[in-house]
Amino acid sequence: MKVEVKLFGAFRDHQPDARVALELAEGATVADLRRALEAHVAAHWPAFNPKLLAYSAFASDRAVLRETDPIPADGQMAVLPPVSGG
Amino acid sequence: MNATEESRHHCAVVDIAESKLDPSAALEFVSDPGFGGIAMFVGRVRDLNHGRVVTGVSYDMFDALALNGFADIAARCDAEFGPKLKLYIAHAKGRLGIGDLAVVVAAGTPHRDEAFRACRQVIEAVKHTSPVWKQEHYEDGDSVWSEGCSLCGHEPEVARDAHAGHGH
Repeated sequence: MKVEVKLFGAFRDHQPDARVALELAEGATVADLRRALEAHVAAHWPAFNPKLLAYSAFASDRAVLRETDPIPADGQMAVLPPVSGG
Repeated sequence: MNATEESRHHCAVVDIAESKLDPSAALEFVSDPGFGGIAMFVGRVRDLNHGRVVTGVSYDMFDALALNGFADIAARCDAEFGPKLKLYIAHAKGRLGIGDLAVVVAAGTPHRDEAFRACRQVIEAVKHTSPVWKQEHYEDGDSVWSEGCSLCGHEPEVARDAHAGHGH
């Protein structure tokens, strides 16, 4: 399945269009997406600190998802670095 | 009061390029003839952080998820303090200057105690859980994304220090 990951905050510094497209197996989970994104950033973002991804959560438009949750059928996801609102 | 929960909660993301936060609108929204207490928190951009002179901040936000989160925060607050409760939650996005308003939270209730507690509960939840990211701009031209609160459920080893350096 095609998964499009929206990027926010410090992730934007590495990808000006603020999105990454990944190909995952059908039925993939958030944990699978995390591993795929780790591989993508290791290959494409030389200045990226991998700790930021370890601290980051994944979400659909509706909710933050758990590692074991399946990726929504529409493939629309976002990676959320630690938040700093207010 | 027969008003539905939705009509008693106002949640908004305000793009600073188009508009700005309005505390008087918040006070008006949470007012009610039966309410004797209103508490409001107004967060503004300050000119110093960790000893560095700040000239402004940029807020990045995942609007759809943020609005869902604000509604969830309001619903949880309503379960604890409602139904005699009105809540206003608005957060700015975009580039803000010193003194600009970043967030406005207001709570109206019959008495002051619930108003203070509801307002505090909402602003803390907004700060710690909303998908909002602050980038500070400094007088030397440098810009840095603030450290924040991790939303990760899986708690990697490094996440134990996720609050390090984050000024609550």
